Amino acid sequence: MPTTFPKCNPTEMMGLLVLLNSHKGSEDVALLADDLDLEIDEIFPALEFAEVLQLVKVVEGRASFTDLGKKLVGGSIRDRKAIIRDQLRKTTLFKTLLRALENAPGHALSDEDLGQIVSLTTAPADEAVQNIVNWGRYADLFRYDADERRLVLTRRAPASRPGPGQARPPSPPGTTESSSSSSSKSTPAAGPNTELRTAIVATATS
Amino acid sequence: MALIRVEHVDKSFASRHGSISIMQDISFEVKDSDFVAIVGPSGCGKSTLLRLIQGLDHPTAGSISFRDQKVDAVCPQMAMVFQSFALYPWLTVAQNVAFGLEALSWSPERIGSQVERYISVTGLDGFQEAYPRELSGGMRQRVGLARALAVEPAVLLMDEPFSALDPLTAESLREEVLQLWRDPQLPPDAVLLVSHNIEEAIQLADRVIVLSRRPGHILAQVDVDMPRPRDRKSSAFYDLTDRVYSLITEGGSAMASKTRPEGAPSAG
Repeated sequence: MPTTFPKCNPTEMMGLLVLLNSHKGSEDVALLADDLDLEIDEIFPALEFAEVLQLVKVVEGRASFTDLGKKLVGGSIRDRKAIIRDQLRKTTLFKTLLRALENAPGHALSDEDLGQIVSLTTAPADEAVQNIVNWGRYADLFRYDADERRLVLTRRAPASRPGPGQARPPSPPGTTESSSSSSSKSTPAAGPNTELRTAIVATATS
Repeated sequence: MALIRVEHVDKSFASRHGSISIMQDISFEVKDSDFVAIVGPSGCGKSTLLRLIQGLDHPTAGSISFRDQKVDAVCPQMAMVFQSFALYPWLTVAQNVAFGLEALSWSPERIGSQVERYISVTGLDGFQEAYPRELSGGMRQRVGLARALAVEPAVLLMDEPFSALDPLTAESLREEVLQLWRDPQLPPDAVLLVSHNIEEAIQLADRVIVLSRRPGHILAQVDVDMPRPRDRKSSAFYDLTDRVYSLITEGGSAMASKTRPEGAPSAG
């Protein structure tokens, strides 16, 4: 599966799928854009993302649902999320990221670690990192703690949602910053996570 | 039975130059499981009408009732979603969703599980701890939606909810609102949407109430009898859009350009 992640958020991609569905599941890309009064290049990122997740195929300028894409638009908001989660997991980037989280102390990665992993598989821009974090959060694969500035693996039971009472209030904004981010300013190869990084590189390049 | 009954409602505001009439003789009903849209030029009193219906403000004349009870204070069976999202930036997603529930005398456990449920049905899980600033516009509006639905309202009032969103995001959220409305397990029973976007109204609603320019009065109530998802490029859709545009322009609207704009008015 390709690992180029276009800049697009999950809701935008869903918008494209909903639009395609209102065109009976197959339409010229130009006409899709036209329906929303958009330029064709404005729908490319969403279209490409849907291709990366194998929900849509584009052949000779015509976009059509794959079977999975058809299943996704027929499902509830929650069902759709589950499909997106499974599809993200198949990508090299998310495989790498989730494996890194599994192996990391406390199942958490700092912004720095995260930037490094993302830069191994895609362009090393902050925007790209944010984009990936956003998708992973959307798919409920991990959570991002903005106070601590770190990514934390979501523990989940395989099929069902965890029970109620999970909405714990985190500490208020602006009270932290100091604790985590400053301590890990080590050079990439010499930090406590050397082993982890080796694993990441091995996964990413395999 | 009518869920909401609006009868001969007038609304005017006092000004230095005397009283200004905002709307005159507005009467309509919203029934169980209705999806009703209100369209009209800006300044026709669409948003004011929603505020009157929820009980945030009172009509100058006429009456509004909910399940045959006169609405004279804020009605807890209705919840509003705003164009501007209206989230508290210092609260997390979960705390924003919990906000409306904290007025109820529920146990923290019950509030917690209700918040979790509506975070999940609106597709927000994974973002419980995020602050609004970390979210895209689409996700912010989902928080607005989750907060409104968490009180399990019979009627969801939506005031230009998709106008601040980019077209793809708006397309996605419109469809999700339809999904929630159609799900018998979930609130709301009925939706009352205010929009300046005629195509959006026709795409979503069973019935479109067309208001004139100020002072707003009802020009027509147009039934939309098309299966969903509705194809905006179909001739039936186009004809209906054209009819509503004509009603508004012939109603003396200031909004009207002489020719009908091609394609969908941008949602943004």
